[in-house]
Amino acid sequence: MSSVKLRSVRKSFGALEIIKGVDLDIGDKEFVVFVGPSGCGKTTLLRMIAGLETITAGDLEIDGQRMNEVDPSKRGIAMVFQSYALYPHMTVRENMGFALRFARVPKDEIDRQVNEAAHILALDPLLDRYPKQLSGGQRQRVAIGRAIVRHPQVFLFDEPLSNLDAELRVHMRIELARLHKELKTTIVYVTHDQVEAMTLADKIVVMRDGIIEQAGRPLDLYDDPANQFVAGFIGSPKMNFLSGTVAETNGKGATVSLAGLNGAKITLPVKGANAGEAVTLGVRPEHFGPAGAGDLDLTIGVDVAEHLGSTSFVYATTPSGEQIIIEREESRSEAVNDQITVSISADRAYLFDHTGARLR
Amino acid sequence: MSKALALTGRALTYLALSLAAFVSIFPFFWMILGTTNTSADIIRGKTSPGSALIDNIVKFLNSFDMARVLFNSFLIAGLGTALTLLVASLAGYGFEMFRSRFREKIFGGMLLMLSIPFAALMIPLFMMMANFRIINTYQAVILPSIASIFVIFYFRQATKAFPSELRDAARIDGLKEWQIFLHVYMPVMRSTYAAATIIVFMANWNNYLWPLIVLQTNEMKTLTLVVATLTAGYTPDFGVIMVGAIAATLPTLIIFFLLQRRFVEGMLGAVK
Amino acid sequence: MAAEVETSGSMQDRRRGAPSSLARSEQINGWLFIMPALVLLGIFMVYPILWSLWMSFQVGRGMNFSFGGLTNIIRLTQDPVFIRALTNTLLFLAVQVPIMLVLALLFANALNDSKLWGRGFFRTAIFLPCVTSLVAYSVIFKSIFALDGIANQTLLALHLIENPINWLSDPFWARVVVISAITWRWTGYNMIFYLAAMQNIDRSIYEAAKIDGVPSWARFWFMTVPMLKPVILFTAVTSTIGTLQLFDEVNLLTNGGPSDATLTLSLYIYNLSFRFMPSFGYAATVSYVIVVLVGVLSLIQFLIARDRRG
Repeated sequence: MSSVKLRSVRKSFGALEIIKGVDLDIGDKEFVVFVGPSGCGKTTLLRMIAGLETITAGDLEIDGQRMNEVDPSKRGIAMVFQSYALYPHMTVRENMGFALRFARVPKDEIDRQVNEAAHILALDPLLDRYPKQLSGGQRQRVAIGRAIVRHPQVFLFDEPLSNLDAELRVHMRIELARLHKELKTTIVYVTHDQVEAMTLADKIVVMRDGIIEQAGRPLDLYDDPANQFVAGFIGSPKMNFLSGTVAETNGKGATVSLAGLNGAKITLPVKGANAGEAVTLGVRPEHFGPAGAGDLDLTIGVDVAEHLGSTSFVYATTPSGEQIIIEREESRSEAVNDQITVSISADRAYLFDHTGARLR
Repeated sequence: MSKALALTGRALTYLALSLAAFVSIFPFFWMILGTTNTSADIIRGKTSPGSALIDNIVKFLNSFDMARVLFNSFLIAGLGTALTLLVASLAGYGFEMFRSRFREKIFGGMLLMLSIPFAALMIPLFMMMANFRIINTYQAVILPSIASIFVIFYFRQATKAFPSELRDAARIDGLKEWQIFLHVYMPVMRSTYAAATIIVFMANWNNYLWPLIVLQTNEMKTLTLVVATLTAGYTPDFGVIMVGAIAATLPTLIIFFLLQRRFVEGMLGAVK
Repeated sequence: MAAEVETSGSMQDRRRGAPSSLARSEQINGWLFIMPALVLLGIFMVYPILWSLWMSFQVGRGMNFSFGGLTNIIRLTQDPVFIRALTNTLLFLAVQVPIMLVLALLFANALNDSKLWGRGFFRTAIFLPCVTSLVAYSVIFKSIFALDGIANQTLLALHLIENPINWLSDPFWARVVVISAITWRWTGYNMIFYLAAMQNIDRSIYEAAKIDGVPSWARFWFMTVPMLKPVILFTAVTSTIGTLQLFDEVNLLTNGGPSDATLTLSLYIYNLSFRFMPSFGYAATVSYVIVVLVGVLSLIQFLIARDRRG
């Protein structure tokens, strides 16, 4: 069992509190991704699990044991750093075997483990090379290999793909997913890229300013965001937000008057709203329908149209000056200053109150 | 590693560093203390300040023509530093910006020459100075030290960080090479010059052996030589000598505290 | 292939066989910039060293010299003072340089920890001796180690010794004082070089090693030290050269005494040239001994550094 539990964990650097009370359960063999903007504390949290930062308050349990004071090397974890942190003066083989030398593992056993890990990562031909002779992707695999030989219960990754070029990143993402299936260990992964989070995670943990905004399965976060921040963070391009006021509430739900669209109204099946409340309507760029197909049509002028082949992105401004992005498939006809009409469907729109919380 | 072991390790580290710091600083404290005591007291190992400060200072100023001595030191160190910076930066820039295989070999040869000990040069240099009848002159002291291979090497290393696009842009703007050096390179490399100034000035100010050989009369001697002279003899007056020691150390000490960062940077630059 | 590549004007010219103005001005400028330095080095370094070589084969006193063949070299082998100076110099080298470099390395390692309290203070303090004028610190050390001086007083008070040590008049202790003085003066300097190199190392390597369970002594010995090899080599070579040329401290502290116990090669050369009736030829020969030593020792150190890499 290699589960990780965080209970009311806090971290302060002097007077500055970075992690403000985090509760999280990571299950055995789960691939959990911490994602969030810079400074949200995701890397700090990872380093606290690793033991590289102390825990100011709260409890960390790995595999049921309290690990707050335990030395990093004894927590059953291994870590892959953003910069790979390979020992530059050692060969790939020596890099991977270095830790085992101090675990009093006999030499032939070390060789066997290193060869095994190298094989899993297709590093066999590179074993006698030095890090500076390797490409970025190769170095990264060596860093992973170094972690594998220790047979950890929990793998920690700190933004491992951010130093790679776009194409390699896609390739390595697939590799990591495959690795997870093959090694069957728990993985805790930090990234600022929500695409990596969506594609790799069993569970995404969205963080902001030292707290967890929402944790759950990727598609759950996409379909059912708990607040405006998560809604805007997950999904690319970002969700559109239009400000409005609740005109009235009744049995069917709340009718929202959108100030930016000259008071156009749309009714959403939401129960928690109060009349007169200031709210925000959220619509994803990919959820606009053709004119007439939804509950509210809007006609807007095109500022910029980006045609990528199969998809187009249309940037427009509402009469009140809010910018919206519309993603449309198979349509290349938009040009600057065209007027287009699209529709919003109530069942594909979200409502948030003035604090950002989701109204259901 | 257990917590207890880690803590003792920490404690020992602090102890060792504190000891090192104490040993490093004590002589300075001793020097300052010494200026206030009489020579007899210093030899006795008196650890408290006395009242002989003014006395010592007066004796020190009277032992030599101090104004002249200070002038000598500042002139030699200052002029020598300025010339060294000019010649070395020109050379470092030249080697780095205009490469040719032959000149690389010359540079390599220069690096080898770094290992030539001064002892092997001092006699011929002395004879040279004697032949040209410039013994006991400022030129004799300054000339041999202007071309410092170490400083040339340092400037060359630093020039590697100088973006050559700046030179290309200046060329397009019509500047001649020497103008590029003067108007583009020198201002951009200001901090390199600053760091080099500190190192070179310190070396020139503290220079002992060569001035000792070349400067023969009291009116030409530098502060370093003067203090050394006071130390020689059977009954040196340590109180007075301490005043001299502080005077000799003061310029570099002041520069050090003012420009601490640049000082260390200057040395680090050579490492990169 | 070359025909398809667009070449700059100078390259096209070169293909036509005419030197372009750009290439030529590069060459001219290349030489002009380095000319002052080369001229000065030629006059004040190359010429003297060659002259010294010629001189080392001359015998005679003062300005009367004549060719002596290998006389000087033979004289070296039979000169007890020279042997003394040579052994002293090598002794200083063998003892002082390793102690100093090891201390510098250990201090740098300790100061490389960003969580250490008072880091800036310690670093400045240990580096401060490098700022002193050599004259100043020689004098200070002389007064500290005088017979009734503070060093003896402290040792007596701590009951570590029974009788005051005659530091500067005892051959053994005089050497100890010289070695201590040099170490005091230069450890900080070398420490800064090591610190700079250490700060260029990616910190996460140490974190990775910590997670991997590599103990701290192994992190120092198997990671820091090998990665610092170029700097260590640099400081070893420069310290070797410096110590082989040792003059200032022994001249001011002990003047080579007592009875040549701290006489170094450089001091001997000085004495031969400027103290008594000069024997310039012989002095030049002794100076070439230093040249040879420097060359040999530097080479050995380079080879050692190379070998380990394999």
